[in-house]
Amino acid sequence: MTTPLLETRGVWQRFGGLIANSDVSISVGRGEIVGLIGPNGAGKSTLFNLIAGVLPPTQGSIIFDGEDVTALPAAERCQRGVGRTFQVVKSFESMTVIDNVIVGALVRTTVMRDARRKAHQVLEFCGLGPRANVLASDLVPSEKRRLEVARALATEPKLLLLDEVLTGLTPVEAKTGVELVRKVRDTGITVLMVEHVMEIVMPLVDRAIVLDLGKVLVEGKPADVVRDPKVITAYLGDRHAVGA
Amino acid sequence: MDTAFAERRRRDLIVAFVLAAVAATVPLFVKDSYLQNMMVLTLMWGALSQSWNILSGYCGQISLGHALYFGLGAYTTTLLFTKFGVLPWFGMLGGGVISALIAMALGYPCFRLRGHYFVIATIVIAEIGLLLFHNWDWAGAAMGIEIPVRGDSWLKFQFPRSKLPYFYFALALACVAWFVTWWLEDSKWGYWWRAVKDNPEAAESLGVVVFNSKMGAAAVSAFLVAVGGSFYAQFVSYIDPESVMGFQFSLLMALPAVLGGIGTLWGPMLGAVILIPLTELTRSYVGGSGKGIDLIVYGGLIIAISLARPQGLIGLFSVKNFTGLFSPKGKEAVR
Repeated sequence: MTTPLLETRGVWQRFGGLIANSDVSISVGRGEIVGLIGPNGAGKSTLFNLIAGVLPPTQGSIIFDGEDVTALPAAERCQRGVGRTFQVVKSFESMTVIDNVIVGALVRTTVMRDARRKAHQVLEFCGLGPRANVLASDLVPSEKRRLEVARALATEPKLLLLDEVLTGLTPVEAKTGVELVRKVRDTGITVLMVEHVMEIVMPLVDRAIVLDLGKVLVEGKPADVVRDPKVITAYLGDRHAVGA
Repeated sequence: MDTAFAERRRRDLIVAFVLAAVAATVPLFVKDSYLQNMMVLTLMWGALSQSWNILSGYCGQISLGHALYFGLGAYTTTLLFTKFGVLPWFGMLGGGVISALIAMALGYPCFRLRGHYFVIATIVIAEIGLLLFHNWDWAGAAMGIEIPVRGDSWLKFQFPRSKLPYFYFALALACVAWFVTWWLEDSKWGYWWRAVKDNPEAAESLGVVVFNSKMGAAAVSAFLVAVGGSFYAQFVSYIDPESVMGFQFSLLMALPAVLGGIGTLWGPMLGAVILIPLTELTRSYVGGSGKGIDLIVYGGLIIAISLARPQGLIGLFSVKNFTGLFSPKGKEAVR
């Protein structure tokens, strides 16, 4: 049995009186695409931030690639191979697209020539090649999403955390996005993605984890998860769960 | 695309070299000591602003307390020379190192502050430094220290009869500050700094250690400013707290960069070339009665700039506008 790439063990996060995550234990295997779903306020983003190292969990531990990384800050987790995007895009607005990506590439090399070459490769991979020398502030929203992905990929992650990269896109853009995620996985990168748009995510992911009220509600194959009465109740309320 | 980038970098270097060479010949034609004095000050403020720009422009940590490092440089050199007979050249390095260390020691608590809170902290700390030197008897207190001048000497870096050596040193300082910026711009540090300025949280997620980046920028910036301060002490050969650590010095370091283009390679020098002669001339034409007129000019310029061209004047000289002049292939370099 191979060890999972990522594991959270009994993770709690409290913000004052609010419990955002309670006793969350999930695991993500190597090469998987795992969807993290759940209604608004379920604690998905908090869990994401805990995994990325933006804040330390109140309790519990996070194991990445066989090592306990609970105490490590975000920058160090990136060095270990955790890449992420942000739900609200955080481009370096005053920098060009290529320079944005170079920042990511510099985690793996300090030779500027190599970082630049790597950045160009990643931009081509993400379909942003022609926009390399445009200021990030001049990109349209869908391009900014792809820039987020490109920047994270430039850090050569083992695990890529995608925070709602497909939300708010037109159907065509979303389709390209889905293809990009598949392509990323095909290069051997494990993907954990938070997503709202069920009809897009469900065919894409190998496994879905449903969070509700800070707890893991259900996890399993996407087809089973969407039929689970507990999930339907969480999203739509009791009345709709009669099918169970 | 990569070649276009390399070409732009090389072109910057060539332009800088030509400008420096031209500047070096100017004193051969301009013998007037008043004008030479003005050129020395222009180059010095250009160098200082260029150094300030590393921390505040590239890394985005706006400091209005750099007078502290300027003063530390001036005092270190002067005290070492007058009290212990240490040559100013060593004092210059010593002042730079001390300032860099103090900048990091101060950065340790202050870089946890953001935005306006950071700016206020820098102002307050510089004021504390000023007060300390005001009351420090061994360092001359409010009376200040006079550097004993005994004829021209490269060893002691003092030239009572000629401005030329000062001019060439100031030119060298400006070149060094420019070159350090040029070099850092295309290095890991340069990218990290700009990332930290634009979005620290995203930077952190990409492996940038934000705190260390700020510390690095502060150290380089403070070192260069302190060398400028050492030079200034030698140039005027008399220092007191107000004349090397006053708040106006912090402003004077920021203004050229803001005017020319904050966070750009050429902005600070361009700003200094416009601003310093302008103030010097206003000061001399309006005479003693016009004390403060130069500051009004500053204020007016800054207001005009922030309204009309918040990105600074350097944008007017962008590669886009000058493409045809420098290279036929330059167009791809822009977009």
